Amino acid sequence: MDAAHIRNFCIIAHIDHGKSTLADRMLEITGTVAARDMQEQLLDSNPIERERGITIKAQAVRMAFTHTDGDEYELNLIDTPGHVDFGYEVSRSLAACEGAVLVVDATQGIQAQTLANVYLALEHDLTIIPVVNKIDLPQSDQERVKAELKQAFGFKPEEVLYVSGKVGTGVKELLHEIINRVQQPAARPDKPLRALIFDSKYDSYKGVMAYVRVFDGVVRGTDRIRMMATNSMADVLEVGVFRPTMAKVDELAAGEVGYIATGLKSVGECRVGDTITLYRGGADEALPGYGARKPMVFAGMYPSEGNEFHELREALERLQMNDASLVFEPEQSAALGPGFRCGFLGLLHMEIVQERLEREFGMDLVVTAPSVVYRVVMNDNSVREIARPTDLPSGGEYQRVEEPWLRISILTPSRFLGPMMDLISSKRGEFKKTEYLDSAVVKQGDPDSLPSSDPRVLLEADVPMSEVLVDFYDQLKTRSRGYASLDYTVGEYREAPLVRLDVLVNNQPVDALSLITHKDNAFSQGRTLVERLRTLIPRQLFEVPIQAAIGGRIIARETIKSMGKNVLAKCYGGDVTRKRKLLEKQAEGKKRMKRIGRVEVPQEAFLAVLKMDK
Amino acid sequence: MPAGPAAPPLGLYVHIPFCETKCPYCDFNTYAAIESLMPSYTRALEREIAGWGAWLGGPALTSIFFGGGTPSYLPTRDLARLLRAIDAAFAVAPGAEVTLEANPRDCERERLRAIRRAGFNRISIGVQSLDDQELRLLGRRHDAAGAIAAVDAARVAGFDNLSLDLMFGLPNQFVASWEHTLAEAVALAPDHVSAYALTLEGGTPMEADVRRGRLAEPDGEIAAEMYRLAIDLLAGAGLAQYEISNWARPGRASRHNLAYWRNEAWLGVGPGAHAHLFDNGMASLGALGANGARFAVVKPPRDYIRAAAAWEPPAAPVTRASLAAVPFLDTVEAVSDATAMGETMMMGLRLNEGVSDAAFAARFGKPIAQAFPEALTECLDYGLLCWVDGSLRLTDRGRMVGNEAFRRFVVEAAMAG
Ligand SMILES: Nc1nc2c(ncn2[C@@H]2O[C@H](COP(=O)(O)OP(=O)(O)OP(=O)(O)O)[C@@H](O)[C@H]2O)c(=O)[nH]1
Ligand code: SF4
Ligand SMILES: [Mg+2]
Repeated sequence: MDAAHIRNFCIIAHIDHGKSTLADRMLEITGTVAARDMQEQLLDSNPIERERGITIKAQAVRMAFTHTDGDEYELNLIDTPGHVDFGYEVSRSLAACEGAVLVVDATQGIQAQTLANVYLALEHDLTIIPVVNKIDLPQSDQERVKAELKQAFGFKPEEVLYVSGKVGTGVKELLHEIINRVQQPAARPDKPLRALIFDSKYDSYKGVMAYVRVFDGVVRGTDRIRMMATNSMADVLEVGVFRPTMAKVDELAAGEVGYIATGLKSVGECRVGDTITLYRGGADEALPGYGARKPMVFAGMYPSEGNEFHELREALERLQMNDASLVFEPEQSAALGPGFRCGFLGLLHMEIVQERLEREFGMDLVVTAPSVVYRVVMNDNSVREIARPTDLPSGGEYQRVEEPWLRISILTPSRFLGPMMDLISSKRGEFKKTEYLDSAVVKQGDPDSLPSSDPRVLLEADVPMSEVLVDFYDQLKTRSRGYASLDYTVGEYREAPLVRLDVLVNNQPVDALSLITHKDNAFSQGRTLVERLRTLIPRQLFEVPIQAAIGGRIIARETIKSMGKNVLAKCYGGDVTRKRKLLEKQAEGKKRMKRIGRVEVPQEAFLAVLKMDK
Repeated sequence: MPAGPAAPPLGLYVHIPFCETKCPYCDFNTYAAIESLMPSYTRALEREIAGWGAWLGGPALTSIFFGGGTPSYLPTRDLARLLRAIDAAFAVAPGAEVTLEANPRDCERERLRAIRRAGFNRISIGVQSLDDQELRLLGRRHDAAGAIAAVDAARVAGFDNLSLDLMFGLPNQFVASWEHTLAEAVALAPDHVSAYALTLEGGTPMEADVRRGRLAEPDGEIAAEMYRLAIDLLAGAGLAQYEISNWARPGRASRHNLAYWRNEAWLGVGPGAHAHLFDNGMASLGALGANGARFAVVKPPRDYIRAAAAWEPPAAPVTRASLAAVPFLDTVEAVSDATAMGETMMMGLRLNEGVSDAAFAARFGKPIAQAFPEALTECLDYGLLCWVDGSLRLTDRGRMVGNEAFRRFVVEAAMAG
């Protein structure tokens, strides 16, 4: 297909505004997926995505569509995830496209990630098509969203399209508009091959499958290729496109989106963001690409059974092949034995990795509380980055500790501005500015009005990343009754008076329970933590003291009393089998416990710090 | 043992699934308002009893236990018919223990006299509590005075082997009120006492009430204190503890229940009844193997009646396969060596006499320490178990947390087998 008949676009939006559902209708209308194979959010193919109803991984599809000019066009769509943890996926997808369909839920209006995604798309010079979705819902307010789009981004009312991804209204028109408005790819098929790897996946037969956008030249199923950054070489096994399942084609030409099966066995040799060129007669200069996003949080992952360390390594390696953002390295915990320190894009990412390890690889895991990366400036001015609390050197060895901050933006109806400010200050945050998003269109101050008809305020603040980790998002939702939304970008490092809080179980320090915390919070956190642990750790056959300590000084103590009475009361009527099975089942519950010395500690205990309400 | 040295012990459990009303904490296989089934039920049971007697070759019975449900709720003539059927089908050993569970409301003197005459020589009265308010909470229809009168009536009727069933650890129960119940019970001079902590079984109305916060959750600490009180008070009254929940005067331990705890053979008839048969030396059980099979009868009374009423025992010897073909049996499980050893420990450790290492080795071919190296070491280390005269026993501490010990044996058995 010549470049004039190709359009590459992605769908971007705040979480749950209906990207994947809109993609469903496009697949249907273009006949890409037969009606009998259709299912809701078809592109969310991973079981965890389907269960949770969210997109985790960006997904590409090629569609064919006949335009009003009678010509058939090739449309390459990329559906992106909305959750803030996966913002990196969005930016990678944007680099493969010329246009973006910006979806805004007609009942919710612009939300924090709507803003974030628009800025990203503008950075990439994409044509943005604003689309108001869910117009089938009775509570949808198209006028208001139209006004917001104008106020926030300057979209003219006549630029805005109205659709229902669920029912299909307006989707065909949208497809025509995509062809009209999005530029054709600036493709130079006669130049040496340059294809940007925007994602990758591992296939046990075909090795690393690089998802690419071809910018220059052509790649065929018989070519020998070179990855420009790693300088590794591969013989292409096949090239193909997504319909949405992988379908082999003879070649991918400049302007097109598809995959290259490389046969490579390690993703390290074929990194996301790298440029693929031909081995012979290749290009000299790589495409701009993008650096790998650094993980925000780190946590220890340990097998419950010490001897499953190698299985866990294998499982992590396999996962990493489909999830370029996951990083890990082996570590040793005195309490938990050998395991891995893993880096994640955020807590949802961490949760999903844990769930996949458990479900897809049958691992039984103990996960420790997530930590951000601290910077320790040592006495000799060298800087150490530490991602686990026990690595904090002892007091006299360093000058200061710095912690990462986030620049957050909260979009909230104005009536919750007060509670949002309170939240920020309770999290040691620094308020930056507020901006009314739509004061011009909505009258203020009607006491009977719904929160959704309040003028909306964009609030910007800086907050320490560690404070956002704990329960910031839940608090934000609770305090705004669900109306506020959150986005953030990584900010700077700042000095802080941080201390390490250690926990002793049965007089043994448990490294996996240590945490770094602000000096002013340490006492109350220590008390809450031992209190939580007392309720989380079941009674043992002996009394178990739980202590919190700072620098060797005990600051809080609780005692788990020894087990009182637990005889199966009735032993009646001779149903011996049932009694035996009851006991066996109790023992299975214990398998999800980790033994620390003689104490059986449940897995949740290691995440207790996450559940601490202050 | 009056059954004679040659007769291997065999107990018979007879299930009576009728109750006047269903108590809110009860999850036994028993029903209110199906009294109309009593006649056909009695006939089906007679048939089942006759069938087993024939199939097993009319072996000697060392104990018979009518449980439920409320056996005393069945008309006395039906109880008598059932005992006659048992007598005809089996060789009831002279002096065999024959127990009837009775509700205090059924304990009129004349009725008990007839029951005694029919052949029951032990009565277990479901007193539960001697506090009227607690009895109401338990949904029991008798009051404390009625329970006391029932005991008197049983004595007058000639029961010289009398047991009381008590419950503790009830929602809102104070230790003081339990002490009162215990003291009153002791004053009735029973030969035997069973005291069970209330367990909230899923699916019962009481469990739902607790879960929804309509009823206070029984406090485990308080229950533990009540249990210790029972141990002290009953011992002081000459009732020696012989099992976690059971106390008796010398020679009055329940022969029938001992068979469960010692992992001996017993047969169960009636819906939901369980049985455990193995090659215990009886000729008719020779094909079952050393550990034999555990099996259970279907639970719904109507299904049971339909399937048992016309039962003809097979000509084939008793094996797991021929048992599985019995129309009213629900589950038949083979018992592996490992399971049998685990169950022997789980049940035997409940007894104060514990598990004799010599008896264990005689039965399974290896001593306890070899069968359960890990569980044994751990339990001894934690002070849950101790050796006394060649038997492994729960310590006083171990008795409070018995499951911790039992679980370790059962799990080690499961891993081994
Ligand atoms: N009524 C109505 N509901 C819609 C419409 N579009 C999407 N939904 C519903 O909105 C919810 C979210 O839809 P998705 O398509 O999964 O949203 P998404 O933007 O892909 O979500 P993420 O990928 O998690 O960011 C689902 O329950 C959809 O059924 C629409 O046009 N009308
Ligand atoms: S009388 Fe006994 S068997 Fe009947 S319902 Fe009450 S507790 Fe259950
Ligand atoms: Mg989606």
